[in-house]
Amino acid sequence: MTTGKGKEINPITWLEEYGDVLYRFARARVKDSFTAEDLVQETLLAAYRSRKKFSGRSTLRTWLIGILRHKIVDYYRKQKPEQGEENPDDFVYGMNNMFDAKEKWKVKPGDWDRDPENEYERKELMTMIHACLDEMPKKMALAYTLRELQGVSTDELCELFQTRKNNCWVILYRARMLLRRCLEINWFQGTK
Amino acid sequence: MRHWIFSCKKISLLISESMDRKLPLYRRLGIKLHLMMCYLCRRYKKQLLFIHSILQTEKTIDEIDCASLSPEAREKIKKKLNEEKQ
Repeated sequence: MTTGKGKEINPITWLEEYGDVLYRFARARVKDSFTAEDLVQETLLAAYRSRKKFSGRSTLRTWLIGILRHKIVDYYRKQKPEQGEENPDDFVYGMNNMFDAKEKWKVKPGDWDRDPENEYERKELMTMIHACLDEMPKKMALAYTLRELQGVSTDELCELFQTRKNNCWVILYRARMLLRRCLEINWFQGTK
Repeated sequence: MRHWIFSCKKISLLISESMDRKLPLYRRLGIKLHLMMCYLCRRYKKQLLFIHSILQTEKTIDEIDCASLSPEAREKIKKKLNEEKQ
C-alpha cells in the first residue's frame, strides 16, 4: 500500500472520487443502470477486501477499473444464453443461403439508393436498426452493440465473452451480415 | 496466384474483419483485387460502412458520458461499504 502505517483506508472516498468514473465505464458495457450500479458496488467491496493487494504500481483509478472489468466478465459469463439460441442460421435473414456452392453471392446485395435525407428519416432508420437487432440472437446483438455503439475494442469484447479472437470476428461478421440483410428487406427493398 | 483470389463469401468476412482489426497486407491486397472485379462486394462493403457511419452519429455515448450514480445508489453503496468496514 502506498498509505503509510496507521493511515486508514476509507473506501467511501473511493466511492466519492471514482464512483461516477466506474459507473460510466460499467454503463457503457451493460444494458441497464441497475446492473451498472451493482457492478460498481461489487467492485468497491472487492477492492476494499483486497486493499492489501493494491501495489501502488498503477493508479487507484486503473486498479479499480481493472477490478470492474473482471466483474463485468463474470457478469457476462453468468449470462450465458441457453443452448440453441445462438445459431444465426435460424434467424429469419439467415446466412444459410446468402452464397452459392461456389461462394458467390446468391442473394445479391441490392442497390441502396435511399439515403436518409433528413432527421426524421434518420430516426426511422435507427428504429429499424434496433428492431433488426432485437430479432437477432441475443449474444450476437450484444456483441455488435458493444462494438459499434459503445466503441468497445475487439480485444475487450473477446475478453468479455471469453472467446477466441477468431470467434469474435465471426460473431461480428454474422451480426453485420444479418443486420445488412434485415435492413435491405425492411428499409431499402423496392428501390431497385 | 490461386490463393490471391478470395471468394465473395471470404471477402465478405474479410471486409467485416477489417472493421475490427488491421488485416495483413496480402489480405488487404486480396480484397482490393477482388473489389476491382466484383460490384456486388463493392456494394456490400459500401453498405457495411454506411450502417457503421449511421451508428457512429447516433452513438449514445454523450448520454453515458454525463451519466452519474444516482444519489440512491450512492447511498446504498456507502452503506454497504460502511458495513464492510466494521
